[in-house]
Amino acid sequence: MSAFLVTLAVGVGSYVSRSLFILALARKRIPDRVLVALQFVAPAVLGSLVIAVLIDSEGQVSIGVPEAAALVVGAAVAYRTKNHILTLVVGMIVYWVLRALV
Amino acid sequence: MSVDRAVVRRGIIDALPLYVPAMPFALVIGLAIVESGINPFVGWSGSWLIFGGAAQLTVVTLLGSGAAGFAIVTAALVIQARHLMYSAALAPAFQRQPPWFRWLGPYFLIDQIFALNSLETDKDPKVFRTYYLASALTLWVLWQVTTAAGLALGPVVPEEWNLEFAVPLLFVALLVLGLDSSPKLAAAMVGAAVTWLTASMPNRTGLLIGSLAGIAVGALLERSRKR
Repeated sequence: MSAFLVTLAVGVGSYVSRSLFILALARKRIPDRVLVALQFVAPAVLGSLVIAVLIDSEGQVSIGVPEAAALVVGAAVAYRTKNHILTLVVGMIVYWVLRALV
Repeated sequence: MSVDRAVVRRGIIDALPLYVPAMPFALVIGLAIVESGINPFVGWSGSWLIFGGAAQLTVVTLLGSGAAGFAIVTAALVIQARHLMYSAALAPAFQRQPPWFRWLGPYFLIDQIFALNSLETDKDPKVFRTYYLASALTLWVLWQVTTAAGLALGPVVPEEWNLEFAVPLLFVALLVLGLDSSPKLAAAMVGAAVTWLTASMPNRTGLLIGSLAGIAVGALLERSRKR
């Protein structure tokens, strides 16, 4: 599939997920079980993505000390400050410093 | 007329502060497009075709890593599934709207637009529509411009800064900000662990397996907690 087709397919799918109940199922309710599962979509996918974007072309997870430390510090900053701009800044600094040292 | 104008202004003013946290996100997407090596215009077209940061960033980074199309589309759409909740929550308010707006409105239904407009559902239909469009178009225009700016910035940033590491960091930040219960933490941990264990599977299918495992574990824990 070409890059554009992938993007287009995700775009169409996104529109469907946003419009489904407004356009088609206005009188339907989402079953409780599905509602429960939907709450866990974001954390599960984001947790998976953190690892997935660090997989190299050989199928290995390329996490060394700088990456691991920066992600842990980043998580701590996000938890303490609820500020993701600060998380980005502090995480990148930890990553740069450790990469220069290790 | 003046009432309309006041509603438009309120929509714009309410939307602006919500855009501040999205700004670095848009810049990271622009940088990730450059980093991925895909056609920059195709990468940027996700800004208006998808209009959703997490899904667009996933598409761009996975395209760059050579993942299979079906795996990318499925992963991105799993992320977008949360919009079903927004759609269901706003459906009653949209029933009082003309067809053109019922078709156009959902296109803009991102997290911030839901957050703002779910507070407006008992307003007069015309006020609801005006406020919705004003807040939505504000965020939409800013998003298009900032992702394009990230694209322009990409080639200027030196390679050795390794700014692509901002992508997993941003995902960690978004993850932690949404964690408000232990089943959610478990869902994230299981998702990460299973993705790691299945890392060598072809076409990044491990991402999907990890996500589904995380969702399943979270939902099971939540159900047993409620009993």
